[in-house]
Amino acid sequence: MSPARKTDKIQVEHLNFFYGFNQALFDITLKIPPQKITALIGPSGCGKSTFLRCLNRMNDEIPHTRAEGDIQLDGADIYDFNLVELRQRIGLVFQKPNPFLQSIHNNVAMGPRSLGIERGSKLDDWIEQLLKRVYLWDEIGGDTTLPAQSLSLGQQQRLCIARTLAVKPDVILMDEPCSALDPIATLRIEDLMRDLRKEYTIVIVTHNMQQAARVSDQTAFFWLGKLVEYGTTKKLFTRPSEELTEAYISGRVG
Amino acid sequence: MTTRSLLDKELNKLKEHLLHIEDMVQSAIDRSIEALKNMDCELAQQIIDDDEDINKLRYKVEKLGVVIIATQQPMASDLRTIIASMHIAIEMERMADHAAGIAQLVIPMHNEPLLKPLIDIPRMAQIAKEMLHSSIQAFMDGNAEAAKQIAARDDEIDQLYDQILRELLTYMIEDPRNIQRATFLLWVAHGLERIGDRITNINERTLFMETGKFKEL
Repeated sequence: MSPARKTDKIQVEHLNFFYGFNQALFDITLKIPPQKITALIGPSGCGKSTFLRCLNRMNDEIPHTRAEGDIQLDGADIYDFNLVELRQRIGLVFQKPNPFLQSIHNNVAMGPRSLGIERGSKLDDWIEQLLKRVYLWDEIGGDTTLPAQSLSLGQQQRLCIARTLAVKPDVILMDEPCSALDPIATLRIEDLMRDLRKEYTIVIVTHNMQQAARVSDQTAFFWLGKLVEYGTTKKLFTRPSEELTEAYISGRVG
Repeated sequence: MTTRSLLDKELNKLKEHLLHIEDMVQSAIDRSIEALKNMDCELAQQIIDDDEDINKLRYKVEKLGVVIIATQQPMASDLRTIIASMHIAIEMERMADHAAGIAQLVIPMHNEPLLKPLIDIPRMAQIAKEMLHSSIQAFMDGNAEAAKQIAARDDEIDQLYDQILRELLTYMIEDPRNIQRATFLLWVAHGLERIGDRITNINERTLFMETGKFKEL
């Protein structure tokens, strides 16, 4: 495989992925730049979520699956990482907010505490900083003892993002993070993503292509397990190179 | 926390481009009259060359408008602002073409003295410049009332044009040897008259942006 350029955060080359005998991804080669938002779009079953989950080896948990090809994080093979370290560096935010049935404080503290990242009053400061970062601190009036379940869905999702940030990752993967949220909560998450982009590399899977257009810098269009087109969002949504991309984004297929 | 900072940023960028185009058009009109007064072919050529920069900026506005529509899904007044901005950029670019057209006339005219001292033509240009400036200001402020008032000033330009037309016809009737020089000046006045019409179009766009209605002013 060609050496990763310094400018790539994640480099994927010739990735094939199988669920048993069923091939879900076909020869995907794609480079994800740092401190940018990369959106993966395509119809249901096109492989975008499978691809996302390959990036932090979440698919390893599914029996009878197999990946071929190379995935590098900062030039190092992700299969050479210890799994805990890999997932600390590449966090994942799920479709449905899934806070622990505990206080807001404990939700954010759990990761750094178990990894020994921060302790004591430093941990409290870190939690405050994170909750401010996701614009939750003021909304809860600084009371982190509140149960996470008392928050609205949009707030819960931002809490989950704070929880992901708590272990100081480089990359944040988001698997349809707004599909359970109303339009205003969605726009808030999108604004937060743009804000986080200055420090983190974000990869988002979304079935909502308008969201991809609004929020991302780069967009990759998947179709039947293949990568059809990958480029800047501006270009892909105004002058796509492939007819299939044009047909999909203008609602003629899919 | 806000929920639309990016869209606001993009809309501001669009408006900044329009202000930049306005500056360039103001300068083009100014210099075209200056070139005409002094029969300055060098300055005239410069105006013609600079027109290319205005054309480029106009395409930049259109391109940005298309990208915002495609990526930000603007609605209601945001959508109208973008559509209006794209139209206004085109109107101003065409005004610059009229100014370049005046500059182009200076080149064949410069071998002969002016038919008459320039009085009404610079006045037309001055009114057009004032109208352009306040029209763009009304657009930036979203002031539909001001837009309507400014558009009414186009009558002043039209009256001056009619006056110039009558005067030049007299020169032509008096002595057919004046026809060429009079026709050139008539074209200049016509260019300025068209600039006035395009300013009115800008105000119609401001009205559309604010009210959502298309109305001829």
